[in-house]
Amino acid sequence: MMLIHCPFCGKRSESEFIYGGPVGADRPNPDAVSDAQWVEYLTVTPNPLGPVQEKWWHARGCGEWLTIWRDTRTHDIVEAPENAQ
Amino acid sequence: MSYNIHIQRQEISALFDLKGPSEALQEWAGKHLPVFPSHPNSKTIKDEMELSFIGRNHWILRAPLSQEQSLAGRLMPESCPSDISIVRISDTLTFFGISGPDAPEVMAIACPLDLHASVFLEGMITYSEVFGIKALVSHYDGGFEFAVEQSFGDMIVDYLNRAIT
Ligand SMILES: [Zn+2]
Repeated sequence: MMLIHCPFCGKRSESEFIYGGPVGADRPNPDAVSDAQWVEYLTVTPNPLGPVQEKWWHARGCGEWLTIWRDTRTHDIVEAPENAQ
Repeated sequence: MSYNIHIQRQEISALFDLKGPSEALQEWAGKHLPVFPSHPNSKTIKDEMELSFIGRNHWILRAPLSQEQSLAGRLMPESCPSDISIVRISDTLTFFGISGPDAPEVMAIACPLDLHASVFLEGMITYSEVFGIKALVSHYDGGFEFAVEQSFGDMIVDYLNRAIT
């Protein structure tokens, strides 16, 4: 079980949260990118071996949406990498 | 094993769900409400009204059912400004009181919160889970209280009885 830090409630059991998927790239202007880049934005989600930024919803809690960084190799919640945006 | 606890399903309460910036809510109805609690998942009490801070820009007001009509008259949910929301939800939740020496043991079966008195302080109130169902859990002198949606009430009675016998 993971303990996820909610900015409103503090550390809570993973069971109170619903996974909201990885944080993807910002939506590009479809007129300013190539078809290939647009398809990449629409269909390719981040799936690294290592830290990934994820959205979680404190659904059975205060209702807050939050993001965490989680290492896919260890399942640990980790600090954001230095080069993260 | 059996536990030494007392379970009581509470009478229905008057409940109002308040959403929006606290300044706007206070401007609209502040004089009829307890002081707004400043700490997340805490509550303030005035007369017999409890105001609980249960999410960002989200409060629940609880009072005896006998005050429901007069509170509705003062809070005027149907004519409040568009940047806030006040909704009467008295019918939606059913409350259970869990008291007695083994109350923490039974709550620990039902709920993933760290319920130790040094963490979940007396007077705290928060949404969490009870037997996997979203529940508003609070810690008061001598025990715990939680509320689930009315329709889950009978099932929760069954779960509690299974947990304690
Ligand atoms: Zn929360």
